[in-house]
Amino acid sequence: MEIKKKSITIFLFGVIGTLLIACNKESQTSINKLPVVEAYLISGKQLSVKLYYQKSLSDTTQYGSPIIGQELYVSDGDKTIELTETKKGTYTFSDTSFLVVGKTYTLKFNYNLVSVTAKTVIPPKNQNFSSKYVTVNYPGATTDKIDTLNKFTWSNPDSLNHVLVFININGTYTPISTKMSGFRERIYQVDTKRKSNYYITTSDFSYYGQYKVILMSVNQEYIDLVNSDASNSNTEKLLNMPTNVVNGLGIFTAIQTDTLNFNLY
Amino acid sequence: MRKLLTLFLLICLTSLVNAQTTQYKLKKYNLDKFVARPLDDLLDTLSVNYKLKIVFERDSLHQFDVVDHFFNEPLNKVFDLVCSKFNLHYWIDYKGTIYILQKVDDMARLSSLEKTLKPITVQKPDSLPSTFSSQHRAEPMANAKQLNNVVQPALTKGTEKPLTQKLNQLPVNKPINLLVTINGKIIDQSSGMPLPSATIKIRNTDIIATTNTDGDFTVFKVPADTCTVEISYSGYQSDQFKLTTEKLSNPIVVELLPAFNTLNEVSIIGQKRGVMNTDVKKVGVLQLTPANLDKLPSLGEKDILRAFQLMPGVGATNESSSGAYVRGGTPDQNLVVFDGFTVYQVDHLYGFFSAFNSNAIKDVQLYMGGFSSKYGGRLSSVTEINGKDGNRNSAGFGVDLSLLSVNLFAETPINKKSSVLFTFRRSYQGPLYDKIFSQFNTSTPQGGGQGGPPPGGGQGGPPPGGGFGEQTTPASHFYDADLRYNYHLDKNNIFTWSLYIGADKTDNSRTLDLPSFISSSGSINITDITEYGNLGSSVKWFRQWNQKVHSNTYITYSSYFNNRNRGSSGLTTDVNNKSVTVNNNSIEDNNLKDFGIKSDWEWQTSNDVKLNFGGFSNFQKINYDYIQNDTTKLITQHTNALLGGTYADLEYSPNSKLHLQPGIRTTFYQPLGKLYFEPRFSASYQFSDRITFKLATGQFYQFINEVTRQDILNGNRNFWVLSNNNNIPVGQSRHYMGGISYETDQFLVDFEGYYKTLDGLTQFSITQSRPSPGESPTVEQNFYTGVGEAEGFEILVQKKLGRYTGWIGYTLANVQNKFQIYGNNYYPADQDVRHEFKSINLYHLNRWNFSAVFIFSTGHPYTAPLTTYTINSGDGNVSTYFNVSSKNAQRLPDYNRLDLSASYDLLKISGNKVGTIGISLFNVYNHTNIWYKEYQIHNNQAITTDVTYLGFTPNLTFSLRWK
Repeated sequence: MEIKKKSITIFLFGVIGTLLIACNKESQTSINKLPVVEAYLISGKQLSVKLYYQKSLSDTTQYGSPIIGQELYVSDGDKTIELTETKKGTYTFSDTSFLVVGKTYTLKFNYNLVSVTAKTVIPPKNQNFSSKYVTVNYPGATTDKIDTLNKFTWSNPDSLNHVLVFININGTYTPISTKMSGFRERIYQVDTKRKSNYYITTSDFSYYGQYKVILMSVNQEYIDLVNSDASNSNTEKLLNMPTNVVNGLGIFTAIQTDTLNFNLY
Repeated sequence: MRKLLTLFLLICLTSLVNAQTTQYKLKKYNLDKFVARPLDDLLDTLSVNYKLKIVFERDSLHQFDVVDHFFNEPLNKVFDLVCSKFNLHYWIDYKGTIYILQKVDDMARLSSLEKTLKPITVQKPDSLPSTFSSQHRAEPMANAKQLNNVVQPALTKGTEKPLTQKLNQLPVNKPINLLVTINGKIIDQSSGMPLPSATIKIRNTDIIATTNTDGDFTVFKVPADTCTVEISYSGYQSDQFKLTTEKLSNPIVVELLPAFNTLNEVSIIGQKRGVMNTDVKKVGVLQLTPANLDKLPSLGEKDILRAFQLMPGVGATNESSSGAYVRGGTPDQNLVVFDGFTVYQVDHLYGFFSAFNSNAIKDVQLYMGGFSSKYGGRLSSVTEINGKDGNRNSAGFGVDLSLLSVNLFAETPINKKSSVLFTFRRSYQGPLYDKIFSQFNTSTPQGGGQGGPPPGGGQGGPPPGGGFGEQTTPASHFYDADLRYNYHLDKNNIFTWSLYIGADKTDNSRTLDLPSFISSSGSINITDITEYGNLGSSVKWFRQWNQKVHSNTYITYSSYFNNRNRGSSGLTTDVNNKSVTVNNNSIEDNNLKDFGIKSDWEWQTSNDVKLNFGGFSNFQKINYDYIQNDTTKLITQHTNALLGGTYADLEYSPNSKLHLQPGIRTTFYQPLGKLYFEPRFSASYQFSDRITFKLATGQFYQFINEVTRQDILNGNRNFWVLSNNNNIPVGQSRHYMGGISYETDQFLVDFEGYYKTLDGLTQFSITQSRPSPGESPTVEQNFYTGVGEAEGFEILVQKKLGRYTGWIGYTLANVQNKFQIYGNNYYPADQDVRHEFKSINLYHLNRWNFSAVFIFSTGHPYTAPLTTYTINSGDGNVSTYFNVSSKNAQRLPDYNRLDLSASYDLLKISGNKVGTIGISLFNVYNHTNIWYKEYQIHNNQAITTDVTYLGFTPNLTFSLRWK
């Protein structure tokens, strides 16, 4: 009996001791305070940076609240300018000559006593963007054979990153195929994998109609975002979206665009 | 040869002969008379007339009047009839004594009372010594409540076979040989099956030996050839015999009788901890005999791997994996060996049940770390499962039924030299199966991510229905079968062929009626078949070279397969009334083949020194094909590896207290062209009769890993990959373990602590790109490499004997990993559980067994979204993203549940168990235990869904045995 008592005492001692050692909760508060940055720099356009708060999980608003009253600076390597808050949370610089192809721009501001920075370079202008056909008449898919609908080409001697954006500007959406795969959103973008052409086919083009096709010359940070889009990913690991903002979230990048029309009837 | 056989039989020296003599008498003699008298009177008469020793309570039995006419009935029929009439049982113990029981629990009382009675010799036959123990009569009882022990003492010369007495009661002679060596085998009397880990003790000495997995033992330096040898084994009646000079020249075969039903003790005993299997020389070893598993709560199936989870150090809260999470390790770091071949798929039904049928298993050992150099190729632990030999004496059949499955087994001797055992188990898709199936096939998120991979990484099944939200119940089942053939070429050579196959098959094929926005009419046939499992086989050659050396040589084959075939085909009519043929498919096929040969040798040079050594060689081949539309190969991996090596392990006891076991293992891994050395060391020191200190350390390598391809939409896929020069490193681990145990006859208190380092861990992710026309879709496979460490402390307090038995176990543990992809800091590993408390309570009352199992543990870690944020993407769309916590920074709520069970033994009048009826209640108070969380963004809001483990689930079991 004494043994029993002894062993129980030892056991309880162990349990209490270990309970005391255990439990250290990691603070997650710092990560919640990071500002969300959104900026797409285009040469010859005015510079605009938006700042948002993060949203709580139960928040039903589309965007987070704007972060106001910040002092934002952008440097092109030679000179540093301060942005003006022209709308709540939107900070702009009106001189359209500031953004020039090939230059590197650095955003810098202090938020909650922490320096937030981001860097991007304005890619070169697109050259020779063309569509093989402006209008294609397609009778509809009758077999499971994949038909090529159109081909877009552009110059890309340096194998730079490009994204093609398709925007259906019709009001109604008639599917071209009953194939199970390939249904797309009305607006979608594809990474062209540093190539100089892209084919659209019945396997991934979904609706008849009139399209705006935008060729965007982009930087790697943008490609990272496109490719890690949750809808593109089939990993169920929950990871943060890549960002090029240090001590922040979102994106600070530069793009060049070129637009064509394409009709599919 | 015949002469040899006779001698062989003669030296089968056990008291079993006593029992057999009694059984022989019961069958041989007939009763042919009219009886009208009290039962006690009848028993007295039978005892006197037929020289039987019968033990009963006179007072209780006097009230029963036997009025019957027996027409030449054999005595066993008489006992059957009488006992049946008065609701009694009789039981013949190993000494041949017949006990008449009113309640099955009376056995212990009657036998202890019987021992206290002083025998008096009534008549001493000339041929027998005066010490003849079974010839005694109780003093006339003054108190009627006392026991009556009635014996006819006169054993007339020649009327009975005096074999029993001769063997057991040899006169005490002076020893002829001193310091002798004895060797032999311990087997089950009824089946001839060898009994591993039985204890052999030389009376009045410190010499103790245990049998190996084939039931063999060798004892050196036995002081004299007149010593008494005591044999004990869990679940069997103890036995003893005296040595003689003649017995030394041949192996001694000891046949043990099963214990009476009520004398069972706790089913799981640490080998160093148990009542019968105490072996203080081993560290961190758990041993389980499946026979008593029906006393624990079960959800459908007696489950050997689940039973281990009730011990401290083995994770108990992974309902989705019956694989072993041992001391911070993952299931793929646990080597599972069945009859010599490696099993790669260890569970059924998304991990809910282990793939091993307990009816086909003799015993299981779990080495929780720091294991000897005999084993290798895994970082964490070893589960060694030994199949059961078929009954060599008589045929037997059995059936187990539950709400989940039917389980059949048959065993039979084929001839004197060989026997065969066959088991087959198959689930049927009843409500219980569907409940478990649907639990592990939860709806899948359509956007966002999932809160970390489900612990256990079970095989995710297909989501219910297809992309259009219709609900279907897939046809699904699992099955497994074992076949074991045993051939005794002679007493020194035994061949065993073992075959195992187990698989899960899910057919979610269905016809999909298309919604009208796609098609005005038509339907598509969807094929969706998943099949995974394991096929393994081995041929074992056991050879006893001489008294000191024996070997086991294996040729093994193991094949793991995991195939998925999905596709759709059909003819539909589109909105323009055009017929459209649809046909696409994807096939994912992962299989592993493992051919091996190995030879394990044991050379016992003395009681103090034993050398284990051997060699092994394996050829492993892995194919992984992921093919779309018959031609597009997304993943094509065809890798193979040759590995081979040797090991040596010395068990040395400089004195009776200290035991040292150094060892070394070398492995040549051909893909890397490197030789790996794994030094191992374990030691124990018996400080006193009750206190033992122990430690173990070693280096461990792993050359094959199981990785999970996580797939939200179609279910996770597990597959095996081989280490290579490129992105999958060889895993390595170091173990440092130590402990103290304190053991009395009744109790065991055991403390153990461990620290392990882990290096070369592998994680995997896959990203599939959209194909451009004229191009194949591409799959990017990313292997991430990381390191880890595990540490912990375990306490076990066990009550080993009595009506109430059980144990409480507590584990304090910490496992952390560091993978570059998650940052530069260590984070809690997926399997990390800080506190785990288990309480296992078993209570026995007559034919009833009750059990209550309570489990509490800290929640598993997971990664959670903390906030969301929304930005415009460059294409004008608006995207909302999760801002995610650092890896595994959050904890799920604590896990706890209570399981209860009750079982009732079906006994023959003669006390033999013929079956069990049981009820199990799983998660009695229906506690919601969370498996993982899912997150979706809906209307800008993040919706969290808890995916839970099983709630309250009852189950009924029924089993029957025929012989």
